[in-house]
Amino acid sequence: MSTDAGSLAAESAGMESPDAGSADTESLAAGSPGAGSLAERQEALVRALVAGGPLPEGFDGARVGAAGRALRNKRFGEVTGTWPQLLPYGELFRAWARDRPPQGSWRDGWDFARAHRCSLDAEALTALAVCEARWRYGDEPRLRRGPVVRRVPGGAVLGFWSRVVVFRPRR
Amino acid sequence: MSGPGVGIGWRPALARFVEELPGLVDSGFSEVIAESLHHPHPALLELRDRGARIVPHGVRLSLGGADPVEPERVAHLAGCAELLGAPLVSEHVAFVRAGGMEVGHLLPVPRTREALDALVRNVRLTTAELGVPLAVEPIAAFFDWPEDEYAEGDFLTELLDRTGALLLLDVANVYANARNRGQDPLKVLESFPLDRIAYCHVAGGSEHDGYYHDTHTHALRQEVLALVTEAEARSTAEARLGYLLERDGRYPPAAELRAELDAIADAAGLARVT
Repeated sequence: MSTDAGSLAAESAGMESPDAGSADTESLAAGSPGAGSLAERQEALVRALVAGGPLPEGFDGARVGAAGRALRNKRFGEVTGTWPQLLPYGELFRAWARDRPPQGSWRDGWDFARAHRCSLDAEALTALAVCEARWRYGDEPRLRRGPVVRRVPGGAVLGFWSRVVVFRPRR
Repeated sequence: MSGPGVGIGWRPALARFVEELPGLVDSGFSEVIAESLHHPHPALLELRDRGARIVPHGVRLSLGGADPVEPERVAHLAGCAELLGAPLVSEHVAFVRAGGMEVGHLLPVPRTREALDALVRNVRLTTAELGVPLAVEPIAAFFDWPEDEYAEGDFLTELLDRTGALLLLDVANVYANARNRGQDPLKVLESFPLDRIAYCHVAGGSEHDGYYHDTHTHALRQEVLALVTEAEARSTAEARLGYLLERDGRYPPAAELRAELDAIADAAGLARVT
């Protein structure tokens, strides 16, 4: 109930937007529906849909909320295409994605998995470890060059020069 | 090779299905997502080499954005048309990013004079670099902008009049929008500039969350097929390609897809490609 039931207006009501009080927000709030340039209006709508921003003046909150949910559903479908191990975490993902603009399914899945290490099962943790044995996390991930070892439930992941092997002694 | 036919959107998962459609090359056509053509699939190039008409269909140009279209994206579309020997290129009346954020989906533009001017500029910037015509597709959306000044049909007509662009009419989007806005789909269809149709999209959808979703992953509805018949009866453009089924996942058995293509052909009174 808590994640997808409310309208976007209700969802954002309790959130302090980092933009609250900025010139954009003030001009939108003060003016009639449509105040602000096309660029400002489009940015405010996108912020509401993918970055946890407030519903821009004049929009139908229920309809924009439904569009936001559809966006997050589509995004989760794309993420699980790249990270099938995240399939059990739809509800968590949609809640997490609410205020994080999409960065592509590979990066979205990676960021989500890093932020939810404590909640993931062995399969998802292993996928994360395999990814991180190959790639160094950062704004622009780079292939690792040296050897790396990551513990995962029931085994370990070994990476060397971007080749990765999963060891699971008991399986 | 001339005259309208029936086709299906090419996807890697459908490569074999499309390859085996007996009438696709002769009377049908196909379409491929332009952004997937940075590394073209060999099966798609093979289809091209057999003489199939294939339209590159862009999804991330953001023609409706306040900012000018990015030259690299326009150049890529032009390159796709060249690669495929395409008769035209298509994109959307939509924006997909703003303020440095990607949406990951198509968003409706406000139907205002300012947005129309931005669209006209972006369509012109695009067509200036293309060696073939551009067709633009109105999208399905759950919401409208509060500042809308035009009805959708009038907005489109003016856009096409000012730019010379063609219309990619998505019959399923017309159905979805009319249904979600409580309008009569046929009246909405009739308000569009049907004399400018380059080709049409047809797709399945489903009811969820109180709205009709144009999912491309569900079966075709009878109501959408009925709208195909109405669209064909009102289409006057000579060089139309025809009707293209869009399927983007949850792929059904081949027999079911063939039955949908036949249903579209029958609804439009065109030759079957199966």
